[in-house]
Amino acid sequence: MMTEARYLPLLALLLGAVALWLLLPGKKAWPRRLGGLLGVTALGLVFSLLPRAGQWAADSLFLLLAAVAIFSAAAAISFRNPVYCALWFGQTLLAVAGLLWFLGAQFLAFATVVVYVGAILVLFLFVLMLAQPEGRAACDRISFESQISSVAAIVIVGWLAFAVGGALSSGGGAGEGAPLDAEALADGVLTSEHVWRLGTELFTQHFLAIQLVGVLLLVALVGAAVIVSRQRMVKKSGER
Amino acid sequence: MHAELALLNNCLVVGAVLFGLGLVGFLSRRNMLIMFLSAEMMLQGASLSFAAWGRFHNDFGGQTLVLFIIAVAAAEAAIALALVLTLFALRGRLDIAAWHDLREAHLPPPLIDEEGEQVEAAPPRPRPRLSPAGLPPPLPPDMEHRLRL
Repeated sequence: MMTEARYLPLLALLLGAVALWLLLPGKKAWPRRLGGLLGVTALGLVFSLLPRAGQWAADSLFLLLAAVAIFSAAAAISFRNPVYCALWFGQTLLAVAGLLWFLGAQFLAFATVVVYVGAILVLFLFVLMLAQPEGRAACDRISFESQISSVAAIVIVGWLAFAVGGALSSGGGAGEGAPLDAEALADGVLTSEHVWRLGTELFTQHFLAIQLVGVLLLVALVGAAVIVSRQRMVKKSGER
Repeated sequence: MHAELALLNNCLVVGAVLFGLGLVGFLSRRNMLIMFLSAEMMLQGASLSFAAWGRFHNDFGGQTLVLFIIAVAAAEAAIALALVLTLFALRGRLDIAAWHDLREAHLPPPLIDEEGEQVEAAPPRPRPRLSPAGLPPPLPPDMEHRLRL
């Protein structure tokens, strides 16, 4: 029984690697649907191995959000049409925002939706419409080294998950942050004055960092304008 | 396992999987825009882990870091999309393999499937026929790759 429990995560990782390899664009002997099937199987296997928090409603909500996030992330990197990739990535972002909400980070959930879905993804689609040539280009049909990159990603994910799971289950990774009770959480992260507390934290302890982020945004804005306009200037001087 | 510990464990696993999927996308997709999108996906995985650790330790440090990640991601999006537009205008393709000549000279030729270079040309769509009015504007020669739009 114990050996089965030890080999099940490895099996899930292997299934995930094969699924990713099949899903990535390129000429394969097997159909992509098989990859999707294997991926869903691996996801179900991983979810069956995750520890449960106790309340079935909260657990199933978390698992649903996580499943939507991971499924649409896999779809976002495996579709050939970049517009579909962007739309699936938008669904990933919404699911991650839901997970952040689940963790009690309400402001971050809203910021993710507003900044990522509202700004970055729309900018992405805009550039896509501007730059996408007609038809499906070769770069969307063939991918680089899909075997090696899936294996590399699976090794990293497995290492992270095993290290985290081992450290947390043995209690060694907890450090001073002992498992909390509901009262301590309601007084801390899950307080009803969430935005007020977060803003106080930001503008007292991280005041310099906030200013630096403002400077960074300004520099990025000017830099983007310079990159595009300098290229135009180079072209004009080349014509003459 | 304690409820908070289980939540932390699950969130870290989901964050790791998101990071790994973004890594695969960045390494093996060839469209520059999708590479950018995969980098954003890796940032999402890291954000989720930070928020989970912040909840576990019951302080706002993790959420503060996620806020900074979002700000840096916005700056990164502006710069990266400007660079992608510049690169596209220079070579007329979104393919990152168009820039393989930037490698060192002694490296072997890039591993690109031969059939990958033959672009499947979609049949031209029938265009609406209008009665001609005026003259077509002259296009600058560097815009010729957009003629097919």
